[in-house]
Amino acid sequence: MKLILSDTNLSLPEFISQESDIKYIDLSKLKITNCVGCFGCWTKTPGKCVIRDDAVKVYPYIAKSDSVIYVSNIKYGTYDTVMKTMLERAIPVQQAFIRLLDGETHHVQRDVALKKAVIIAYGDMSDDEKKLFSSLVERNAKNMNFESFEIIFTKASDLNDIVNSEVAKWEK
Amino acid sequence: MGKIMILNASPRAPKSNSKQYAKIFSDNCKTHTDYFNITRTNHDELCSKMSDYTDVLLVFPLYADSIPVTLLNFLKSLENSQPENKPVISVLINCGFIEHYQNNIAVKTVELFCRQNGYKFGSVLKIGSGEAILTTPFKVFAVRKIKKLAASIANSKYTSLSVTMPISKKMFISASTSYWIKYGEKNSVTKEMMQTMQIEDGK
Repeated sequence: MKLILSDTNLSLPEFISQESDIKYIDLSKLKITNCVGCFGCWTKTPGKCVIRDDAVKVYPYIAKSDSVIYVSNIKYGTYDTVMKTMLERAIPVQQAFIRLLDGETHHVQRDVALKKAVIIAYGDMSDDEKKLFSSLVERNAKNMNFESFEIIFTKASDLNDIVNSEVAKWEK
Repeated sequence: MGKIMILNASPRAPKSNSKQYAKIFSDNCKTHTDYFNITRTNHDELCSKMSDYTDVLLVFPLYADSIPVTLLNFLKSLENSQPENKPVISVLINCGFIEHYQNNIAVKTVELFCRQNGYKFGSVLKIGSGEAILTTPFKVFAVRKIKKLAASIANSKYTSLSVTMPISKKMFISASTSYWIKYGEKNSVTKEMMQTMQIEDGK
């Protein structure tokens, strides 16, 4: 399973909509509210968020995909609101319980596929922001089960071409 | 004399650990403090009050390795409604992991905001094992560091501090497992149920 998770509408090749192995989700078209930090997905209804909005349709795809392309605007060196809100709502894919990973404490993952991740970060960014965002993705890798990741920085005007070029690599 | 505005940016502000940390800070601060929760609707109100303060203390938990979206959205509002007199911005952050340095990215995000928007960055206290430390005998260590944080801001002698439970990682995992099992029991959810590998209905 492959996932394209974007905070903006993309024009993708025709085969994407016919290819059952690839799921494209445009978060900007979904209604996803903020995580309220209730721990319900860990301690009340494990594996399920208690807020039954569109996020519950998204995180199962995040979990089962072994290749992902995340597309997000960047603000202050972090994911901007739309993507960040979704990533925070994806914690039902983890357990409350803690394990050691590479000598650090991290949450135990549920049935989450190991992923090859491509993060396409767009917007006007300073070098400082790029550096900080790279450090963030490096940390995310441990908590989001990335076996490998690549970060591509681009301008919003080039975004669609960059995404299409990355999707084309899946077809090779 | 300075005046500190404490902003709780926890998504569960009224019932949060951040609220408890903020209270310990207020109780141990010699400078006047005012406490506010950041909500979805009070950004403008908080931004307009900010000019009355010499310092702002942002109190929040680590969320997905960074600042919670509650704080991100507030900072975006602040960028658009800058106060006339810009206070010094300090941070009190906690994460559930034993390594307090897992908070570093979130702290750097606030520092970057400050650089981009002309605010001086003040003190920081990074708390590891922050979900549970206040319920353990190690609370005293956290309180001690919060007192130091309060003194540093009150005296404008800004500094960087950190604290966590002084136990091995193995012991921490064992203690946190017990903590979460008890948390589940309150909802009649067993350890085995909490350990389900299924996400939603497994579809």
